[in-house]
Amino acid sequence: MAGTIRAQYPATIRPIRINCTGRVTPSLMMRAIGKGANGVIVAG
Amino acid sequence: MLQAARTPNLNLYTYSNVEDVSGFIGNFNVKIRKKAKYVKSDCNGCGACFEVCPSYGYDEFNEGMNTRKAIYVSFAQAVPSKAQIDMSRCIKCGLCEKACEVNAIDFNQEDEIIEIKVGTIIVATGWDEYEPETGYLGYNVYPNVITQMKLERLLAPNGPTVGHLARPSDGKTPKRILFIQCVGSRDLNKQTYCSAGVCCMISIKNTKLIKQHYPDADISVAYMDIRAAGKDYEEYYTASRKEGIRYVRTNISKINEDPETHNLKVIMQNTLSSSGLKEIEFDLVVLSCAMMPAKGVEKIGKLLKLENSQDGFFKEFHSRLNPIDTKIPGIVLAGVAQGPKSISESISQGRAAASSVSRIMGKDKYRIMLIRATVDKEKCAKCGLCELNCPYNAISLKPDGADVDEILCRGCGSCLSNCPSEAITLRYYREPQYESQIDAILEEI
Repeated sequence: MAGTIRAQYPATIRPIRINCTGRVTPSLMMRAIGKGANGVIVAG
Repeated sequence: MLQAARTPNLNLYTYSNVEDVSGFIGNFNVKIRKKAKYVKSDCNGCGACFEVCPSYGYDEFNEGMNTRKAIYVSFAQAVPSKAQIDMSRCIKCGLCEKACEVNAIDFNQEDEIIEIKVGTIIVATGWDEYEPETGYLGYNVYPNVITQMKLERLLAPNGPTVGHLARPSDGKTPKRILFIQCVGSRDLNKQTYCSAGVCCMISIKNTKLIKQHYPDADISVAYMDIRAAGKDYEEYYTASRKEGIRYVRTNISKINEDPETHNLKVIMQNTLSSSGLKEIEFDLVVLSCAMMPAKGVEKIGKLLKLENSQDGFFKEFHSRLNPIDTKIPGIVLAGVAQGPKSISESISQGRAAASSVSRIMGKDKYRIMLIRATVDKEKCAKCGLCELNCPYNAISLKPDGADVDEILCRGCGSCLSNCPSEAITLRYYREPQYESQIDAILEEI
């Protein structure tokens, strides 16, 4: 989406592709935050 | 329709409702309620019963501008051309029974529920005209404010006036006619969409038709923008303007009625000139209303688990790249069920829908992706949360644990993120894969 509208986003954002936002579990988000991520965006 | 009725292996279920749909692509089970017509299929449509029937009422086909009997054929070209009885009006006098030569009347008929197996489903539920709320632009309050649909019936050779234009208040031929465009559409408080230029083209068509029959008619069209996009449409619009039809870019402020003559005094301002507000008198006002999803279509949407777009029409797979299929394999859309469109576009989409399903039906195999949920039955606590959360109804709770139907499942993963015992996994998208991705990304920091 950001690409098609030529939007910029910080290089420190790391996308992970999932099949559907329904697949995101709290444990995955907690793991990311636990490992030092500042936040998690669930976008879809 | 007549051609469809004559095609072998094509079964038409008219005057019927879909009650239930289950199964998946290639194996849909559809329950159809064939509503009781109280007339057996022996009826030959002779019409002897209509003549004797003493019960009159509103004729839906002619927008209530004339009457029909309790026993009727909905309109002259209806397929099949067989009578039916409207039990809300029938007084059970039995006169039709005596008049019928083929003994087709059966007052004891009951609704029949049949079950059929189909491979694919095409949803072509069509549309209904937007009905403005009472009082909006004088609709339902002033008799000479009518909708485009009523005008169509008035101009139709088989309509209530046999094609003569007559205004509802006194039956006289109106001289000064105003068409108002975009009623209920392109309006942030009503429907925000444009009905694909259909109402513009209908207005242009009707102005030309009226002018042809009544050359001295003084016709104006109050428009926001004329959307004549399509082959030969712009030329048609130009031709209508050349015939002397006045197109005024305006917003209608108010419509008042002269209580004696029932003429309408329209207060409007030409927004392309600086002439200010003007009051102009008309004999007839026609509202060009928006196209809406057909009434009662929500029920079909629920049965088939279809998504709706913001405008209420059924959502397609992709609005530009695949406007035919839905997200559910084996269910495709045709015509206005998907969004407002003209007759030619509906035909194109109908044919596209037919080829889309024949591509599936022509083969005896159907390929699915392997990205599907799998249940570890040993871990499953049979809580049923996955069954509740599955948007595609692919999971059912069996005595030995949750069971995933691999054809219905679309691999979204809603079940596994809700599973308290972590018994469900998604093939190719397993937890450790994500965990190692997250770990690898965050190692850099």
